[in-house]
Order: sequence, then C-alpha cells, then structure tokens
Amino acid sequence: MRDGSGAPERPAGRESTPELTRVVDELEGTLAEAGRLLKALQAAVPPPPPKEDPAAEQVARLQRDLDTAELDLSEFSTRLIETENQRSRLMNLYVATYQLHATLDLEEVTSTIAEISRELLGAQKYVLLLRNESEDQVCEVSLAGGLDERDHLFLGRTYTGGEPTVDGTLADGVLRVDPEAGSNVLAAVPLTVQGAIVGALAILKLFDHKPALTAGDRDLLDLLAAHAASALLAARIYSATDRKLKTLENLVKLVR
Amino acid sequence: MDTMRYEYSRPQKQKLGREDEKTMEPKKILVVDDSKLIHKMFEVMLRSNTLVHAEDGQEGLQRLVENADVDLILLDINMPRMNGLEFLDAVKRNNAFVQIPVVIVSTEGKEEDTERALQAGAAAYIKKPFESESILSVISKVLAS
Repeated sequence: MRDGSGAPERPAGRESTPELTRVVDELEGTLAEAGRLLKALQAAVPPPPPKEDPAAEQVARLQRDLDTAELDLSEFSTRLIETENQRSRLMNLYVATYQLHATLDLEEVTSTIAEISRELLGAQKYVLLLRNESEDQVCEVSLAGGLDERDHLFLGRTYTGGEPTVDGTLADGVLRVDPEAGSNVLAAVPLTVQGAIVGALAILKLFDHKPALTAGDRDLLDLLAAHAASALLAARIYSATDRKLKTLENLVKLVR
Repeated sequence: MDTMRYEYSRPQKQKLGREDEKTMEPKKILVVDDSKLIHKMFEVMLRSNTLVHAEDGQEGLQRLVENADVDLILLDINMPRMNGLEFLDAVKRNNAFVQIPVVIVSTEGKEEDTERALQAGAAAYIKKPFESESILSVISKVLAS
C-alpha cells in the first residue's frame, strides 16, 4: 500500500532507515529492468503461426493426387496404344500364318503370298522367285504383281540375276529391308527350307498411300521368310505325290 | 472454392479398338472381297459378330438377297466378275438394301477413287493395309450413325 506521495508505505511499527530505502530503490530498479527485458524478449520471439485452414490443406493434397493420377493416365494411354498396335501386328501374323498353312494347293499358297504382300504389306509391285531345281543359278518367276517395263529383270519366266539386293539375299539368305546402292528393291525376303535357300520374295514398290515399311511389316517379312518356303514345299510335295498316286491308280485300273 | 478447377476430363484416346469391339452390339456383316486372307482377318477382328462371306459382287448380291437383315457391308473394289463399284451401284438402286451402310476397304488409295466411292453412296473408305483399331473405329461410327 502506498500513501499519497507515491512512496512505498512503511510497515507499521517499524522506522524507515537509509538502508531500507536503498534496498527498496534497488528492488524498484531491478523490477524496471525486468520489465524492459520482458518487453525485449516478447519482441524477439516470433508470433505463433496462425492455425492452418484444413480445407486448403485438403485441396492441396487432392491437387497433388490429381497430378499423379493424370501422369499415370497418360502413361497407361501410351501403353494401351502400344498394346493395341502389338495386338494388330500379332493378328496380322496369325492370319498370315493360318492362311499359308491352311492349304496344300500350290496355287492357293502362291496366291496367299501375293495377298500377304498386297493386302498386309501394301506392296504394289512384288515378285516371288523360286530356284530352278535343275539349274541352281536360275529362278522361276513364280508370281508377280504390278510389274512394268522398268522391272524388265523380272518380266520373263525366269530370273537369271542382275538385281543386287535380290542376288545378295539369294546368295546369303539374309532378309534385306534397306535396298543396296543401285537397287530399286525395297525388301528382299529369303525363302529357306532346312537351311537351303529355295527362293526369294522381292518387294519393289509400295502403294502411294503406304509411305514406308514399318516395324510390324518387318515382323511379317520375317514370318514369310520362315513359313512361305515350307508352305510352298509342302504344297509341291503334296502335288507331286498326288500326281504319282493318280498315275498309279490309273495303272492299277488298266491292269485290272 | 472454385470447383471448375478440379473438374476432370479424361484425355481422349488417340486410337480406338478393343473398346469399340466390346461396346458394339453383335451385328450381321457382309464381307465382299476376293481375298481369303481378308475374310480370315475380318473373322478374327469381328469375331463377336455374324459374318456372311462373298468373293465378288455377284455373289455379294446373292448373299444379300438371302440375308436381307445385314447391318453393314464391307466391300473391296477390285474383284472378278462384278467389281465393288458395280456392286455398290446395284445395292444403292435397290430399295430393299439402300439403307445398308457400305464401307469400302480397298488397296486403291487415290483421291479420285475415294471420291467416286463416296459419291456412289459409300459411308466410309478405308485403305488397305489397315490397322484393326482404325477399321473397328470406323465400323462403330458408321453403325452408330
């Protein structure tokens, strides 16, 4: 309690001494210093952060999730397109193989090779060469489509060489998709049976609306290299055997 | 909150294929083509549908008379006996078949071939070689319209 002068009230029954006054003054000074320090501390400590808005936090999280989902969707779309392309390629391969081995009729097998070249590969000009059994260096032109006078090497009934890409394939049995210098053959497909090169399929020109051979076409050419020759050989053997059988049957009829 | 910002629309697929095949109701489709390979390809591609096969235009007309409930015709142009354009002309002149949509599937890829076929009444023109997704997409659209 203080009196009207503002000086601290002295305890009753006790006399004010200079010593007491000094202590009181010191205490007051300490108190004022403590007040200043408290203010300085309050100024130095940053105010506590405001409480976050839960809705904004949720929106930010949802946005992150959405971004991730969109990335996933983009990747899945790409994969879906790749898978559909692959399915389309596999379907072509399946149908081509099925048709090649669906018959033992030589004419039908040859016709199937022509259809694969034209309908699946988009070849406007193509030629199928089969090695002559008696003359090793001569090939019979077994099938030709869309040829004109510029393809004079293949216009006759036989092919005796002169086209570098085709000659190379007939020599080493390697599928060539990039034409060699001086050649206008787009692809030369070897026809091999048990390691022996029995002929080649040459693609000379594609339809105007088909710009180039694709990776899927390459698969189809590989398939032709593996299956066309065996299908042709099987048809030839069947045809020869059938002919012999009919001759024998006629002979037996004559004997009877 | 601005809700439009979070509205989500799925990016459109660039190609359609299996989806069209699945959503398409089974249909009766007449395939007129002289290539056995193409018949087999359509058999595989459109296996959930009923296919009627013909190897040229004349046989196609005969099959059409026998199967008047055909929903769609897939037609080649270069064929023996009666070609695709002659067949298309015969179909479009017959009141019983005039409503059946015809999709040309041909190796003939010149602009004038396409225009000639479309002017003759074809609903769409697809050039061979084709990808299964593109043909399924066209078939689906033609049947939907």
